Amino acid sequence: MIGFDFDYYAPGSVGEAVSLYRQLDSLGKKPLFFSGGTEVITLGRLNLAYTEAMIDIKRIPECRALAASGNTLTFGSALTLSELHDARVFPLLGETGAGVADRTSRNKITLGGNVCSRFIYKEAALPLLLADGEAVIAGPAGIRRVPMSQAFNRALQLAGGEFLVQMRTGAEYARMPYVTVKRRKASAIDYPLVTIAALKAPSGIRAAFSGLCAFPFRSAAVEQLLNRTDLPPAERVDRAAAMWPAPVLDDIKGSAPYREFVAKQILLETLTAWDGR
Amino acid sequence: MTEIGQSVPKKESNDKVTGAARYTADQSDSRLLYARLAVSPYAHARIADIDTSAAAGMPGVRSVLTGTLSSVLVGEEIRDRPIIARDRVRYYGEIVAVVVADTEVQAKRAADRVRVRYEPLPVVQTPAEALRRNAPILHERLGQYEKGAGVVSVPGTNIASVIRVRKGDAESALRACEVVAENAVSFAPSDHAAMETRCATAEILPDGRVVIESSTQAPFTVKRYLAKYFGLPSGQIVVRTPLVGGAYGGKTAVQLELIAYLASQAVQGRKVILVNTREEDMASSPVHIGLEASVTLGSDREGRIQAAYIRLHFDGGAYDDKSSDVARAAAADCSGPYGIEHVWCDCLTLYTNHPFAAAFRGYGHAELTFAVERAMDALADKLRMDPWELRLRNAAIPGDTAPTRDLLTPSNLGDLRTCLHRMRALSGWDGGTVRQVDAHRVRAMGISCFWKNSSIDPDASSGAIVTFNTDGSLNLETGVVEIGTGTKTVLAQMLAERMGMSTDRIHVKLLIDTQITPEHWKTVASRGTFMAGRAVLRAADDAIRQLLDIAACVLRAPTDELAIGGEKVYVRADPNVYLPVKDICYGYRFPNGNTIGGQIIGRGTYTQRRMSVMNPETGEGTPGPEWNVGAQAVEIEMDTRDCTYRIVKAVSVIDAGKVLNLKGALGQVMGAMSMGLSFASRETFLFNELGAILNPSLRDYPLIRYGENPEYVVEFVENPCLDAPFGARALGEHGLIGMPAALADALSRAAGTRLNRLPLFPETVWRARMGERP
Repeated sequence: MIGFDFDYYAPGSVGEAVSLYRQLDSLGKKPLFFSGGTEVITLGRLNLAYTEAMIDIKRIPECRALAASGNTLTFGSALTLSELHDARVFPLLGETGAGVADRTSRNKITLGGNVCSRFIYKEAALPLLLADGEAVIAGPAGIRRVPMSQAFNRALQLAGGEFLVQMRTGAEYARMPYVTVKRRKASAIDYPLVTIAALKAPSGIRAAFSGLCAFPFRSAAVEQLLNRTDLPPAERVDRAAAMWPAPVLDDIKGSAPYREFVAKQILLETLTAWDGR
Repeated sequence: MTEIGQSVPKKESNDKVTGAARYTADQSDSRLLYARLAVSPYAHARIADIDTSAAAGMPGVRSVLTGTLSSVLVGEEIRDRPIIARDRVRYYGEIVAVVVADTEVQAKRAADRVRVRYEPLPVVQTPAEALRRNAPILHERLGQYEKGAGVVSVPGTNIASVIRVRKGDAESALRACEVVAENAVSFAPSDHAAMETRCATAEILPDGRVVIESSTQAPFTVKRYLAKYFGLPSGQIVVRTPLVGGAYGGKTAVQLELIAYLASQAVQGRKVILVNTREEDMASSPVHIGLEASVTLGSDREGRIQAAYIRLHFDGGAYDDKSSDVARAAAADCSGPYGIEHVWCDCLTLYTNHPFAAAFRGYGHAELTFAVERAMDALADKLRMDPWELRLRNAAIPGDTAPTRDLLTPSNLGDLRTCLHRMRALSGWDGGTVRQVDAHRVRAMGISCFWKNSSIDPDASSGAIVTFNTDGSLNLETGVVEIGTGTKTVLAQMLAERMGMSTDRIHVKLLIDTQITPEHWKTVASRGTFMAGRAVLRAADDAIRQLLDIAACVLRAPTDELAIGGEKVYVRADPNVYLPVKDICYGYRFPNGNTIGGQIIGRGTYTQRRMSVMNPETGEGTPGPEWNVGAQAVEIEMDTRDCTYRIVKAVSVIDAGKVLNLKGALGQVMGAMSMGLSFASRETFLFNELGAILNPSLRDYPLIRYGENPEYVVEFVENPCLDAPFGARALGEHGLIGMPAALADALSRAAGTRLNRLPLFPETVWRARMGERP
């Protein structure tokens, strides 16, 4: 049970959503954009989320787009993780998203909701970080398109009144060899100890991480070392592990040493497999 | 037999799968008021001040209750618990205030506004800490508390209860043994995680009658304790229980009913409903007990165990409730299913700043068995002996005695040797070798035996009433709560078997109403089929005798020449001479209107024979009627690098005495195995250094889900218990008992290190391999 009352809005266009937010914000309604709603429900009942006005973006056509036109793949932020998986347009994205929660929840959880999640994992962001994705963000100043490398720093950087409309990426990334591995503490369904998504691009191996540190990341320093083909894989992994951008997470899901061990093992397996090809 | 053994689907299944089934919380009534809780974020603190003024002023609020309202102390074994915390909180999640409001939302909003000022106190988190010389004392007034029979506390300490078993002279015998192995195990409290959270309603009618509805396994206990705690005439209390959505022992404790009663009292007797949120159900309501134990086994070089010393220190939590009795049940069976001449046990129940414990499926036996079976493996290692062989060699047989000094007989003891042989055949046990699957994966198997006696109050009774419909079909009413085990269906099968008719023609009453339903002590301890079964058979015999009396007049034949079957009473030697049951079950009406007899009501009751309370100094007594046994195996496949593993196969061979409903029995055993594997592999409360629970939600408290289950292989041995209906032994809990030990054994083999701490997260195994104390 959610202990607070809120108004519900379902705008049909990006512009309407943006102006609704501005209007509701000025009325002190603490408006919240939402899509799948799973976090609002689960955090709201614990008083960890609060709003007096929910703006549902699922009826905005752009947010529901799923397109491959020319060399660009477009993913609406209100596509569910199940839809992304089943469409098989970008298998790395679909499969990484399919590691989140369970199927019933993924039928509700959306791409935008996961990337903008209040939880630290945001695993659907990993493939987009790897594939030089572009975030299409709507806000009071109109639409802006920002490369993921700039838009996503620990979390998607949104200004007040902004929301994620789409993610875009080049179609060539969907054809590259990839690996996506999620390890959990014990169960088949849980947050990650470590999730690693990796892409073998012509320019080299790319890797993005969730669960390892307190935020998802892709690191140039880590990738540079992973691509040191002059070194044996184990040494590349050891050196890369010295370059994590923050302390390794240590919490009830797993200790820092174990998380790091698991991450290194996944990397080692990946490098060993890709070296052989 | 035609009905017994059949896989008759549960009578309530259609209602359940269509959503038509009604549970306690499934009610809306414009007169209902709603209660919500404010709970403590501290595991141990003095309540310096509670400010309820803001809450009381919120819209819709009728009353805000705090601990000052009632000085009544409650608890089944020791009356040590205030209904709402008074002056002090002793566990994280303890209830400090209750708000009653017109709607649930209003009650929740107001409960969030209750302001409590706490002064934190040092916490006690384990049995070892509880026993430390300068440990904070949780209950200074322990000496003054009212206690149940056989409960021995140590005032001035955190020892809620001490139970000793002294069979033979284990101390001297151990010194004389050629081989001695000692092993220690531990695990923290965990949850029952029933799908339906606990809930209760209370209403006090103008004439003083108290009506409770509760999702409980023990409606008759609720009635008894409500009368006792509040000095109410028991006839004025009515407790109703519809279907219960899973219980596992967690719904044996009387808790929410008492709060609902106080809440109703505070609002002039209006009906108040209190439904636990998942978080409250996990942290505030009773949990599964924790344990620290060590077991020392001594044998000769051939592995014949001569002596055992068992030390059990249960983490009973902040209040005793039933934990000292769970401990007592473990002490009674402390040797495990082995014939050992010298058995000593020192069993303590400790107060800690953890949630308090209720019964948990297996009632102390999964806990005890983990300790004993891990020690059996340690002994086998030391003897360099096949652990299966060690178990076979020591399996208890008729002629041995239990730790309680009860003589074991072919009837009161299941056939463990046959179970062991079948388990070996079904699992492919080969002595415990570890097989390499590929470069990084190995397969290993672990085994466990268990026994369990179902010890309940010596005067616990069960009753049954059989009535008839005019079409000759029957109605069966018993006090067994349908908690998902299908017991009511099995009881219908028993009645059908005895009446010689189809189970389809038996209607069972699912709702319990203590005003009219015959008492069944508690729906616990796998006693439903045994005790209610005996009562049902007596009720059937009572009804048959009445039917035959009427038929004898009409058919002009002596009753002892009549028989019943196919819904007819007939002359045994000439079945062509008969009367349909439907023509006599409401009396027989002659063509001219004369009628003999009347409606037939069969009644039966049953109380276990010659039960006695265990002596807490020696362990002597007869706390239960039969030791059921089984042998189990678990096979796992482990990645030797990160120690992640998959449970491949789990085997249980259990002496069922007689299988009453095959699919039902398989379901019970597999469900229990799943629960045991879930507990062993992942379930635990995680406490921080202040005793706060870090994972009181299913977001962070994992359970085995469909798809993670191994292949389950279950087989039954049928060696009858002569006291039981049709020879059937208890079955509901037993599949769970050996799973933790078998899983730990398998993983220990795969990891090459002895694992003694639950749950067995891959990281736990990895750390043990790295040489850290797991």
